[in-house]
Amino acid sequence: MHFINPQKHTRRAFLKRGTQLALAGTATPMALNLAALGEAAAMTATDYKALVCVFLYGGNDYANTVVRFDDAGHAQYTQLRSAGGNGALVIPKANLSATELKPTTALVNGVKYALAPEMTGMAKLFDQGRLAVQLNVGPLVVPLTRQQYTARVLAQPPKLFSHNDQQSVWQAQGAEGSSRGWGGNLGDLALTSNADSMFTCMSVAGNAVFLSGQNALQYQCGLSGAVAVEAVRGNSFGQFMYEPAMRTAFAQLIQQTHTHVLANEYNRVMQRSLTAETKVTSAMGGVSLSTPFPAGNILGAQLKTVAQLIGGRSSLGAKRQVFMVSLDGFDVHDGMAARQPALLTKLSEALTAFDAALQELGVSDKVTTFTASDFGRTLTVNSDGTDHGWGGHQFVMGGAVKGKAFYGAPPPLSVGNTSAPDDQWHVGQGRLLPSTSVDQYAATMAKWFGVNDTELYGVLPNLNNFGVRAGRPDYPADLGFMKA
Amino acid sequence: MQAEETIAEACPASEANASIPGGTASGDVKHEWSEAALAACVAMLLSACGGGGSDREAEAKLSAGGVRFQPELLPRTPGERQLAMAARIPSATEFFDWAQRQFPALFSSQESDRTAAGGLVFRFFPGTGNYLAVLDGSVLVLGPLTQGQVVNVGTLQSFADAVGSGASSAKPSTDADAARFLLHAQFSASEAEIAAVKTKGYAAWLDEQLALPNSQSGWDWMVSKGYSAIDVNEYFFASGTYQFMVWFQLFQSPDAVRRRWAWALSEVFVVSWRGIKDLMNWDSFAMTEYWDMLCRNGLGTYRDLLEAVTLNPAMGCFSSTRGNLKEDSATGHLPDESYAREVMQLFSIGPYELNLDASLKRNANGQPIETYTADDVSNLARVFTGYNQDYSRPRFASPKSPNPMVNHIESVRGRMVFDGRNHSLLEKKFLGTAIPAGTLGPESLRMALDTLVNHPSTAPFLCRQFIQRMVTSNPTPAYVQRVAQVFNNNGSGVRGDLKAVLKAILLDDEALNATTLSSSTFGKLRSPVLRMAQWARTFKAKSVYGTWKMFLWDGNPAQDANQYPLNPSSIFSYYRPGYVPPGTAMATTGATAPEFQIVNESSVAGWANLLQGFVNKGVWVSAPNQPGFASNASDGHDIVPDYSAEKALVTTPQALVDRLNLLLCAGQLSAATVQLIVTALQADRMQANATDDLKQIHVARALMFVMCSAEYIAQR
Repeated sequence: MHFINPQKHTRRAFLKRGTQLALAGTATPMALNLAALGEAAAMTATDYKALVCVFLYGGNDYANTVVRFDDAGHAQYTQLRSAGGNGALVIPKANLSATELKPTTALVNGVKYALAPEMTGMAKLFDQGRLAVQLNVGPLVVPLTRQQYTARVLAQPPKLFSHNDQQSVWQAQGAEGSSRGWGGNLGDLALTSNADSMFTCMSVAGNAVFLSGQNALQYQCGLSGAVAVEAVRGNSFGQFMYEPAMRTAFAQLIQQTHTHVLANEYNRVMQRSLTAETKVTSAMGGVSLSTPFPAGNILGAQLKTVAQLIGGRSSLGAKRQVFMVSLDGFDVHDGMAARQPALLTKLSEALTAFDAALQELGVSDKVTTFTASDFGRTLTVNSDGTDHGWGGHQFVMGGAVKGKAFYGAPPPLSVGNTSAPDDQWHVGQGRLLPSTSVDQYAATMAKWFGVNDTELYGVLPNLNNFGVRAGRPDYPADLGFMKA
Repeated sequence: MQAEETIAEACPASEANASIPGGTASGDVKHEWSEAALAACVAMLLSACGGGGSDREAEAKLSAGGVRFQPELLPRTPGERQLAMAARIPSATEFFDWAQRQFPALFSSQESDRTAAGGLVFRFFPGTGNYLAVLDGSVLVLGPLTQGQVVNVGTLQSFADAVGSGASSAKPSTDADAARFLLHAQFSASEAEIAAVKTKGYAAWLDEQLALPNSQSGWDWMVSKGYSAIDVNEYFFASGTYQFMVWFQLFQSPDAVRRRWAWALSEVFVVSWRGIKDLMNWDSFAMTEYWDMLCRNGLGTYRDLLEAVTLNPAMGCFSSTRGNLKEDSATGHLPDESYAREVMQLFSIGPYELNLDASLKRNANGQPIETYTADDVSNLARVFTGYNQDYSRPRFASPKSPNPMVNHIESVRGRMVFDGRNHSLLEKKFLGTAIPAGTLGPESLRMALDTLVNHPSTAPFLCRQFIQRMVTSNPTPAYVQRVAQVFNNNGSGVRGDLKAVLKAILLDDEALNATTLSSSTFGKLRSPVLRMAQWARTFKAKSVYGTWKMFLWDGNPAQDANQYPLNPSSIFSYYRPGYVPPGTAMATTGATAPEFQIVNESSVAGWANLLQGFVNKGVWVSAPNQPGFASNASDGHDIVPDYSAEKALVTTPQALVDRLNLLLCAGQLSAATVQLIVTALQADRMQANATDDLKQIHVARALMFVMCSAEYIAQR
């Protein structure tokens, strides 16, 4: 892996980004004062911070996750969600009392929410101030009203309602095929802070664009830690290649460079794998974590690995890291009554355990975890499930989060298509029209991560369309859910 | 003088026969060059026989260009012209190879190609004293054939389709070429198959394979192994046993080409077990039926395949067509849109309008053009209403407490059934088609599927992916176009002839020629499933107990290569056709390399460990003596290889590695890699009288080297 000299990285990265923006023709109000930038890296962190993305693949149904709990709201939710189905997808109000969310400052108009009944752990975190709810967030290019959406007069995210494209839009602000994710963009800026750039962006979830930067690439850690090549190391199965000379030759073979690009790139991954494994195994081995993680919970297993990696951060020389984990299965077109609660149980138990582990490691205020998903879903039901939507409610968790609070605007419960105000925050069937963009959501966390104002617009170029700069203070660049 | 005799024999003074003088008149190369060359011979016949002179003189003459001969070499009909224009311009080497194959009496006993200043490339044929040369894209001939004059017989482009189409009647000249073709077409290459391809030629061998009857269905196999039993094992609930069937077929079905193609189709028309296992009774048989459907329909027409996919029960469950109800204005219910979106986005037209070579069409602003809108999806969704599994047969109670009711096994077989009461009779307007209100379900379906099949983007969208599955991850636009043309018309006016498409892919010059073989960008990564199938077939793996309980899952990260048959994480398959791995050489050119999407620091190590786990004594199976998932005293190595031929070579490591290089890699391991492996193997100091166990593990080590080599994993 050819990493740019960190000393030159920041300035060069900025030059590149500036050129790209100029070519893109965006009228950025940003003044690229390179002289002022000089050689000073924008982020040379001395403290530690990490962001953890929990991607819920398939599109999580927001309405049965963060459920309207006030009487009027719940009644309306009940009515809208019973139609077309047998009512099995309505969570009775009585079942929600235990997980009612009581924010420090009550929402206006008496709006109340509760978490799905199985999310008791996260309800507690909310109450303890380490969990916040971001309401109705989703991809936007510019702020949109329903009329503008329908008339298609303003730029819209590409390929709405398509899984793979919306996953890509959330992660990389572009349809499938985009090659750089905002987590990777953060990683690019973070490289200078880390002794070993390889451990800047780490995934336990599989290949995804979120962590791909220009220079920062995701490192894939296995669920039980870094995977060693047994034939080289030769410990656990006995010595498959008994002769040291053979083992040496094998190690050489699998790291050889080749003229053929596919062969060469395959071996480059192997090189990274071998180089990283000893360091990662050693780093994780030095971590003792007594917090129990839920059994049979693949998200929990991933977060446990992340916790151990965070525990081993000094050994890896890491100061700024971005992690990704994921949970599949949220595309509940049918069987939703059984499937979604099972997934939300996993989510809640895994995040609760992760929070406890971070406290055990003493890094609770240094790690911010957030959820993301392809999209929310329809409010209307489809016999026993829901269809693809757009905006949804997400969670932000950590000691640096101003929890026990809601951010964003509670969407009206509506599936109507009139010009009434209540019908303006969905685009049909209760698919929410986001009132907060992914860019704002990400920017709030990026700012906490240590990205300065100028660089923020490099990480998230679309941010230019929101906030005071764009004359839209109602879509603020900083949503305010992070402590200073 | 030899050349003179050749000309005298070959150029009868008054004959204007259509065959090349002395050349092989293969019936399908009626090329006008033959007439032009004949005319040249006749014109110069009675002149003194001048040779090419010395090489230096020849070079100088050739470099000076030639008298323009002006034969009309382009084919006559517009259709042929179009095909010719789409044909890739051959390289000089390819042209020379083709010419000497076609006209051996004129160009024999070649020397190696040489270059000269000015970009001249030429090949001398001492057997006839003639030169063939290429200069600035034009073909020159010099020698006794042309009476010592340099004659320009036309551009390389004008020979393109002749050279290209010639490949289909071609035969591999080397074992490596034969193996290369076999490994594109199926899972493995044996010595016997290599010999057969060399004897029969690519096309004839392939035709034989494609004519083989569809071998035993997965359904029958599953029944024979006891998985349709109704007992306390409850094979009808969330049963991963379908995977045993898939591996068995990948490892053992005699119609390997058909199975390889079915595997490719399963990566495009995706149903994933994890998406149905909790939503269907008899999920393993549902997956089996889906696989069988691909095997039954894969070599028929795309139209038939698309309909079979659409109405397949497992697909119905996976994509929510099953039980999809029409609109209900009282409740506001609208039809589920999953399949409508997916059938357009993934199974037919794709998301953007494409040219025939799969390049994006662009509007006046230079932007790609979306093929469908959300409205198209909503309208098309109405077509896929009213279908459900066939629940007409009686259910039964599971023998195991609490004895839940279970659907009949036939409910996952064949096609979903239609109930008009649940079908939307609204008008359906999509993709410029309008299905009138009131149209009955079957007719709606017919019209909808016809629309998708006939859309101009369908052929390039699918054919590019098919090429990626079989041959190369980033095909040239011209290759895509040639195949897409066959999709649109197989030559007999049939659209979507998948057998013809498969032949076009495998027999295309780009798949077979020497240039792509030595290209640094051509080819694809072998996916983990294909590597395992190759191992099993090459070494005649057998299941001792006949149960074939091979199973890959994500439960053991240390041995996880990230691919589980018929169980990808979503309908978007194991990897995306448009995936460009970030931070790689492919990213700088935007070259797609789908299989890299499951390649990461964990999975590359996972593959090496997985291989190490089975390559010596075979696959370890729990309870191989009985069906299902269990563990007992019979746990052991059940799917075992036969390395007898390899074990006979343990004292001759060069021969051993050469053998593995040919059979597994089609000779694509470089000399340096071969040398590295040979040297490494010598560390074992194998003796002829070593124990069988020792010989076995030595062979296993050799296989570790070969099958972990990037030159094996990247297949050309």
